[in-house]
Amino acid sequence: MGQTIAEKILGAHSGGAPVKAGDVVVATVDFAMVHDARAANALKAIDSLGLAQLPHARNTAFVLDHFSPPPTREAANVHAAMRAFCERTGAVLYDVGDGICHQVLPENGHLTAGDLVVGTDTHSTTYGAFNAYGTGHEGSDVAAILATGRTWFRVPETIRVDMPGRLTPGVWAKDVTLAMLGRLGAEGANFRVIEYAGSAVAAMDIDDRMTLANHAAELGAEAAILECDEKTVAWLAAHGARAPRPVAADADARYVDRFTLDASTLAPKVAHNHDIGDVVDVTALAGEPVQVALIGTCTNGRLDDIRQAASILRGRRIARGVRLVITPASRAIYLAAMREGLIEALTEAGASVDPAGCGTCVGITHKLMAADRERVISSANRNFKGRLGNPDSDILIASSATVAASALTGRVTDPREIAADIRAAA
Amino acid sequence: MNAPLSIIRGTAHRLGDDINTDLHCSAKYNIGKPIEWLAQHAFEQLAPGFAAAIRPGDVIVAGKDFGINSSREQAVHVLRAMGVAAVVARSFGRQFYRNAINNGLPIAECEVSAIEQGDAIEVDVAGGRIEVPSRGLRAEVPRLPPAVLALVAAGGLLPYLREHPDWGLPAA
Ligand code: SF4
Repeated sequence: MGQTIAEKILGAHSGGAPVKAGDVVVATVDFAMVHDARAANALKAIDSLGLAQLPHARNTAFVLDHFSPPPTREAANVHAAMRAFCERTGAVLYDVGDGICHQVLPENGHLTAGDLVVGTDTHSTTYGAFNAYGTGHEGSDVAAILATGRTWFRVPETIRVDMPGRLTPGVWAKDVTLAMLGRLGAEGANFRVIEYAGSAVAAMDIDDRMTLANHAAELGAEAAILECDEKTVAWLAAHGARAPRPVAADADARYVDRFTLDASTLAPKVAHNHDIGDVVDVTALAGEPVQVALIGTCTNGRLDDIRQAASILRGRRIARGVRLVITPASRAIYLAAMREGLIEALTEAGASVDPAGCGTCVGITHKLMAADRERVISSANRNFKGRLGNPDSDILIASSATVAASALTGRVTDPREIAADIRAAA
Repeated sequence: MNAPLSIIRGTAHRLGDDINTDLHCSAKYNIGKPIEWLAQHAFEQLAPGFAAAIRPGDVIVAGKDFGINSSREQAVHVLRAMGVAAVVARSFGRQFYRNAINNGLPIAECEVSAIEQGDAIEVDVAGGRIEVPSRGLRAEVPRLPPAVLALVAAGGLLPYLREHPDWGLPAA
């Protein structure tokens, strides 16, 4: 019987015998990640094993991204413990300002196609953009992985999404995921793997593919895995990754659900009402005032996102009273954006630029405090009540292009309209 | 080998669908609160007095996707501190499922609509069986695989690893 990508990767990492959804396997993990928000728990779990040696620490990265720079004494102390641990065990350290875990792992060549990667974070699904099985686990698992190189998995069922056609200008992977969320609901793919395939995915650049895989976390997915093609191979090689071991699904693989999403028909989308599954076309909310605009996070803080914003805002000025904050997902992206003149253009347009990291994503580090009844529009991934510190302000989730267009006008704005204005003026 | 998991007999306490354990029994949104405090107040917004009604050995019976969202291991510690001996639900959030097993809390996936608040319930995760003998209800449930049962029986993933000096995990 045919196998899904997830079944093949878990089988290959647990002795090679074929596995199927529902089986439990003990699998060798290629790379693990611990970030600062979960490090205290993970270090406690590791300590409780009382081991003198942690042979697998070298295949683990510790990333200081959520509290970057640390806003409290407790956070700074966690950082100090992480640095000391890396020093002692040889684990890889990414320090304050280096960037968000899900960006720095692939950028620094820590994973490749066919890999099994575990991080202490639900958005570890991001690694699926590179045809890897990436998933989020807790401290106990990470301790087991550092000690043994392995942990256990219940082989998940897979949903296959075939995407023919092509996204039209102004529509991005973010809008695809929002369409999926509108269809399945928040957590609507709980415990399942999503395979995205088809011409629309093939046409996406790596940045957009990372958004697609990353944002599957809001669907509750265990992982979201894309196929490996020449773009994947070239990107991995350019970032010093190990040789790819591409994994494709069999034509007769068994899926728990399979459907077609015609990319050409999608419009820019917005999630609202404190529910990431409450999704409408941007046109439904067009004209509603917004006061705070945010571009960043592991979902949409990449170079493509910053380019989208700059293409809309270059030579213009954001609306009076709007606060636009941009947080590059990594130091490498920050530098690239600087060298392309994007940071300059956006700063001139009225944006503030944060150091690379999770930034405003969770209202713990930099509180992006909106006033009561103000509206936030953000390219992040979560909009539950109070995520950014004020439960009395709604958070709209949209693509970076939609966020930038809305910052420009001070109202929810379809980015395709602004693009048309720019073309007309040229 | 570890002792086999014994059959759990307790009172069923019903909860609904999509219970978010981060919200209802961890410190994520109750920052700084100790486990004992959380154990006394767990689920009180959903069902006032819920925690006080639990006796050691009782069983939570919930609907779909129990423990959904980025569930913390601490939620399982709180359930154990409450005296909860097992959770039976139609389905589990992916991270809660792992956390329960990794922290030695027996769980079973089962169609629960026939089970009522206060039922005397029997949960046999090793045998793959849920019963309410007084009302003649009996359901076969997917047995937890041996690899997972061994972790639960040992009290969780890390206790299991501490007991096994070769650090080997049980074969699936
Ligand atoms: S950017 Fe936001 S969602 Fe992503 S890892 Fe950081 S805090 Fe989590």
